[in-house]
Amino acid sequence: MISITREECQWLLGNLARGLVEYLGVVGPPIPVEDLLEHPPSPFDMDFGVVNMYSHLWDATFARTPSQRGSVFVRIDLNPEERRYSLAREALTAMVTSEHGRAMGLPDLLLSSLREWGEYFARQLMAPDPLVVAFRERGGGEDDLAKTFQMPARVATLRWQDPSTALN
Amino acid sequence: MSMQALNQLVARSIIDPGVVQAFNAGRIGDVLTDLDFATDLRGRLAEVKAETWAEYAVLAYRIVRAEIQVPARIQLPSPAEGLLPKQERASKRHVA
Repeated sequence: MISITREECQWLLGNLARGLVEYLGVVGPPIPVEDLLEHPPSPFDMDFGVVNMYSHLWDATFARTPSQRGSVFVRIDLNPEERRYSLAREALTAMVTSEHGRAMGLPDLLLSSLREWGEYFARQLMAPDPLVVAFRERGGGEDDLAKTFQMPARVATLRWQDPSTALN
Repeated sequence: MSMQALNQLVARSIIDPGVVQAFNAGRIGDVLTDLDFATDLRGRLAEVKAETWAEYAVLAYRIVRAEIQVPARIQLPSPAEGLLPKQERASKRHVA
């Protein structure tokens, strides 16, 4: 197994997120995260379920049943922005542990820091580079990012600081 | 264009198992043919050996990034040089 730098990992995840956004055919914000989970690309037919739960322990978590079917278990009382973010974050776990993700070799590179990479991936999925670049070019600023892309404000602040992966 | 082509390939690989299957079958060169890489670069990318598709993507990224790396910045004299007294400047130059 090769060692991979943080920048390389960010590049990889940024492009995986772009692939999902291109699959959705979305040309502007917000990205319909829940639609992606409800109507996933065929490699993730068995991995992108959503189950609403009453929980005070976590916002969302991914788990598989003995049949290997995967679902994100998400708190039912989250506000829409937090719900979108939690689902996007857990989608990475679904992908990495899926049959397709394992065939790609994603666990070797991502499993050891899955929580951290999930948060980065969620920011990229909710606000992919090409759309953020267009947003900046139209004069969009950090203060508007959360509202335009419908993401939690603290997440938008981090996303604004993320390096671009699309055009380098 | 090369990095954009690689970005496109990696993005496609998450929704199209055909990319990973081609890699596992040693036919990634066939996939690269459809993308906008320079001939020489495409040949080098086709030769990259990796245990998994994800590792291949990272190794390819290193190659493409090195290819498009901007040239070293122009070396300008230090602005501090202008602040030195004339004599000291001359002696420094002499020592150098």
